[in-house]
Amino acid sequence: MQIPSDLLAHSAMFSPAPQTSSAPDSKKKLIYDQDHRGPLSTDTVATLMLLQADNIDLLGICTVSCDMWAKQETAYALRLLEIMGRPEIPVFIGAQEPLLNTKAEAQMRYQMFGSRSLGNEGYLGCFAKDAPGRDEVTPLPPPYNRFAQIKAQPEPAADFIIRTIRANPNEVTMYCGGPMTNLAIAVMLAPDIVPITKEVIFMGGGIHHSTSSVNVYFDAEAAKVGFRAPWPKFTLVTTDLAEQVHMQDDGKVDDIVERAHSPIADLFRQYEQKPQRANPQRHSFRMPDEMMAAHAIDPSIFTGYDDMYIDIVTHNDGHYGDTSFWDANWKDEGGELSWQNSPSIKAGRVQVLNGIDKKRFRELFTDLMTRPINRSKS
Amino acid sequence: MSTTRREFIKTVGAAIASSQILPEPTALCTPPAAPLLAPGPAPFPAGAKRKVIYDQDNSGPFGTDILGTLMMLQADNVDLLGITLVTGDAWMKQEMAYTLRLLELMGRTDIPVYAGAEFPMLNTKEEWQLRRQLYGGHRLDPWMGAFNRANGGPAETKPLQPPYDRFANMTPQQEHAARFIIKAVRENPGQVTIYAGGPLTNLALAIAMAPDIVPLVPEVVIMGTGFHVFTSAFNIFFDPESARKVLRAAWPKCTIVTVDIAEEIHEGDEIAPGRRMIEEIASRAQSPISDLFQLHAVEPLRRNPNMHFFRMADEMIAAQIIDSGVFTKSEPMYVDICTTPGPRYGDSMFWPTNWQDVPDAGKSVSAADRRVFVDPRQFYLGPPPSAGLVNVLQEIDHDRFKKLFVDLMTKPIRRA
Repeated sequence: MQIPSDLLAHSAMFSPAPQTSSAPDSKKKLIYDQDHRGPLSTDTVATLMLLQADNIDLLGICTVSCDMWAKQETAYALRLLEIMGRPEIPVFIGAQEPLLNTKAEAQMRYQMFGSRSLGNEGYLGCFAKDAPGRDEVTPLPPPYNRFAQIKAQPEPAADFIIRTIRANPNEVTMYCGGPMTNLAIAVMLAPDIVPITKEVIFMGGGIHHSTSSVNVYFDAEAAKVGFRAPWPKFTLVTTDLAEQVHMQDDGKVDDIVERAHSPIADLFRQYEQKPQRANPQRHSFRMPDEMMAAHAIDPSIFTGYDDMYIDIVTHNDGHYGDTSFWDANWKDEGGELSWQNSPSIKAGRVQVLNGIDKKRFRELFTDLMTRPINRSKS
Repeated sequence: MSTTRREFIKTVGAAIASSQILPEPTALCTPPAAPLLAPGPAPFPAGAKRKVIYDQDNSGPFGTDILGTLMMLQADNVDLLGITLVTGDAWMKQEMAYTLRLLELMGRTDIPVYAGAEFPMLNTKEEWQLRRQLYGGHRLDPWMGAFNRANGGPAETKPLQPPYDRFANMTPQQEHAARFIIKAVRENPGQVTIYAGGPLTNLALAIAMAPDIVPLVPEVVIMGTGFHVFTSAFNIFFDPESARKVLRAAWPKCTIVTVDIAEEIHEGDEIAPGRRMIEEIASRAQSPISDLFQLHAVEPLRRNPNMHFFRMADEMIAAQIIDSGVFTKSEPMYVDICTTPGPRYGDSMFWPTNWQDVPDAGKSVSAADRRVFVDPRQFYLGPPPSAGLVNVLQEIDHDRFKKLFVDLMTKPIRRA
C-alpha cells in the first residue's frame, strides 16, 4: 500500500510537544503590545519566549506606559532586539498616558482606599511616588549596556495595529501584555478591525486572588473599551491562574542560567539567580506574561477555559478598575440559581483560562530559554 | 429594532480606509514638544484670518449646530480648514449627509469634511436608558441625541428635509477626523483654533494619540457644563470620559460656553421690539439661509405660537471665535467631569482659582462678618491636581451678539 508522500511531512506524533513548524506561512502572526519593563520582568521574559519560538511571526512591538513610562520601555525593547539579533522587528511607541487615569488620582485613591483585596495589589507602576518622569530615559544596565542603534518607528502604535489587522484580515493575534490603551484607541478609531482580529490575549483581573491587577486599574476605561468590543475570540489570563506558577519554582532559574545562551543566560543570572541567592526569602513574581506567550505558542498547555462575560468598574473610587464576571452558560431553569439575572447588558465575552499543565509549561519555558538564540537569517 | 453597537461593529466593513503614517515628534530620544504657551489671548494679528477646525455633531436640518456652521461659513475672518463630525445630536453618518449637502447649497464644496467617532468612548444607549430609569434625567427634557428612540441605528441615513431635498454629490475625505486634527495642528503650530460643538470624542482621540498637539492649539472653544441652569449639558454627558480628557489637557486657552450663559439668549428672541431675529433673517437673508429660517423657524412658530426655541449655544462658540468682544466678562476656573457611572455621570465640577485670596485679610472685621466670611484656607485644600484650567465666559453683550448673528445671516452668501 502506497502512503501519500505529503502525509509523511505531517508525522506529528514524532515531533516534540510544542506545535512548531518551520514553514513560514504556518507561523502565527502576532502583534506584541506590552508595557515592556526592563531589565528583566514578566514582560521581558515573555518577549524572549516569543522571539525564541519558531511558530511566531512577530509583526511588531508596541509599547504602552504602565510598569514603566513608554519611552523607557521602548529603550529597553529596542536594545533587547539588538542583543537578541532581531533588529528587523519594528517597534512602535504607544500611549504614554492612560486614557483618563492620572498619577495624582492613582495616589489619592491609594491613600483613601488602600490596596486591593487579598492580593495586596497596590502596585502603581510608573505612577509610583518616586518613579521617574514621563519623558526621562535612564541608561540601561548590563547586559544592555547602552541605548540601541535602531530607532522606534514614527507611526503611532494604534495606527500600526489598525493598518496591520486590515492588511491581514482574520490572521492577526493581538497580545496585550500591558494596559489596553493602544488597543482601545485603535478600536475607537477603526471599529471595523474588531471582527477581523483572530484573537486577543490579555492578562488582568481575577476572581479569587484579587479583583484587579495593574494592567486593568492603570487604565480602566481602556480595559472597558477593549473587553466590551465583540472580538471573535478573547482569551484572558487572570491573576488566579498566573499565581499558580512563580519564577522561583522548580529550580528553573538555575537550569536556565546553566544551559541558556547569551544574552538570555546573562539576564537570568543577573536579575533572577543573584537576587534569589542573596535573599532566599525573596518573593518572585507570578508568570502572567509568560502564560500569555505560552498560550500564543502552544494553547494545548492549558487545560481549558470558562466561558464568561466580563466588565470593568470605572467608578472613580476604591473599586476603579475592578473586574466583574458573569457565567456565560447560565440559564434560567428555575433551579437554585434562579435568583440570578442575565449578564450585564454591555459586558464583553471572554474565555477565562482555568488551568495549566505545570509540567508542560515548565518544559516549554525552559526549552525556549535554553535553545540557540533565534537570530534573524540575514 | 435599532442596531446595537455590537451588531454594528460586526457588520460594518473596512469603510474607514486610511491609516497613513504621521510624523511623531515625540519619538524616542528627540526633545519634547514646544513648552506651554502662556495662557492669554490667541496670538493672531487683528484683521488676519483665524484658522479653525470645526468639530461638530451637525444635526440637521436646522438648529444650534447648523446655525453655528452657517456663522462660521459667513464670517470673513475665519479660514475653515475642515469640518470634523462626531456622533452626538445625531448619528455621524446622518450628520455627514446634512453637512455635505449644506456645503453644496452654500457653494462651499472646497471645505473638506472628515468622518469622526461613531460612538462615545464608553457610554451606551442601553446604559443611558437604565440610568434614566434609575435616576431620572439630567434635565427635564428628554433629549438623548443619537440615542433618541426615534433615531435608527448608526448606519441608517434618512432622506434630507427641505431645502436640502437630496443627498450631496460631494463626498467626505478618507482620513479619520482625529488624524486630520493632528495633522492640521502640527502643520500650523500655534495657529489652529478648535471649535468643539459636539461631544469631545474626536478631540480626546487626537490628544490620546498625539499629546504633543495640545500646546500647539492657541484656543479650544467648548460648549457644555454649567452651574445654575444645569450642572451638565448633552455634549458632556453623552461622552463624559472624552470630556474629562479634553478639559483636563493643558491647552494654552480653553474657553467654555456654559449652559448658564447660553440660556440667556434663544433663537426666537427679538432683535427689536416686536421683531424676532428669525423673522428678520427669513425676510432679508439670501437663499438658502432665508429658506432654512422660513421653513424651520418662522413657519413652525406660525403653527405653534408657544414653540420653545433652543438656547444659542453653538452660536456663542462661533461668536467667541469671530468676535470675542461680544463677551464682556470671563473668569479662569478649574473644572473636571464626573465619570463615575451613577446619577452624576457627566456632571461638571468647578473650583475657583482665587481661593487663596481672602478679601479682607489683614483688616479688622466685625464679629458678624467673621461668621459669614470664613477663610477657606482653614479647611480647603484647593482643587485636585488633575482638574483642568479653563476660561469660563460669564457675561455677554446681548445686543452686540444678536447684531453679529443677524448680520452674518443676512449678508450676501460668502462663496468659495
